[in-house]
Amino acid sequence: MPTVRLRDASEYPEPARRLFELSRQWFDYDFKEPPAMSRVMAWDPHFGGPHGRAMKRAMAPGEFTRGEKEMVAAAVSGANACTY
Amino acid sequence: MTGDDRWYEAAFVVGITNALNAVADGLGETLPPLDDASAGAEAAAVFGDIRTFYGLPAGAVPIPFGVVARDPAYLADVWGAVKRAFTERRLTRRHKEALAFAVSLTSRSGFGTRFHLGELRRLGTGERGVMEIVGVAQMFSSYTKIADTLQLSSDMADIAPVDSSGVPDPGAG
Repeated sequence: MPTVRLRDASEYPEPARRLFELSRQWFDYDFKEPPAMSRVMAWDPHFGGPHGRAMKRAMAPGEFTRGEKEMVAAAVSGANACTY
Repeated sequence: MTGDDRWYEAAFVVGITNALNAVADGLGETLPPLDDASAGAEAAAVFGDIRTFYGLPAGAVPIPFGVVARDPAYLADVWGAVKRAFTERRLTRRHKEALAFAVSLTSRSGFGTRFHLGELRRLGTGERGVMEIVGVAQMFSSYTKIADTLQLSSDMADIAPVDSSGVPDPGAG
């Protein structure tokens, strides 16, 4: 059980919901509800906004492809013993 | 052959990297690494193969191999696993070094971080590429701790992110 009550997308103010659209575009997937992490980040767009932009900068294709970086992210998550 | 091949390769890289880091960081000072002269002929032959693989100068031996050289047969088997894990197959060697660097950084291994950063650069990764991997490791170290603190359950396990650029897949077909 999450420590907090994850709000439905409809409970967020409009500016925060913009993050959900960005999330949908990033994953190229139509979620019934935005992923839990997206809803957490939308709780404070002044944190979630720059955090998300930093992640996208890091994950953008460069010397390594997006796919290669997704595998690195999975390995880092494993090293952190995180199943999310 | 399926896409799972790449994940098996990645898992073996991560596992054996952690094994090398544990010995290097945990024992490097307590059990000083042996050199060619002190390790004996059998271990020295393995050291030679290690130097060739990593492009190291004469006499150089990465710490974890020097430590376990006290048992030459064990050294040979460990090296066999390391060499196999890091040899380019479905994943490029540079990608494997990126994985090893990221998990070493994440697990705070001083040896692994330095060693695999050196390998990344030796294999042609520029500062921008290094920062890309640092960024991924740093940001996902943030996401994972946020998820753990809030005890979030995974809700994206079935979502495969679109990789429009394509992962190099020389073994496909």
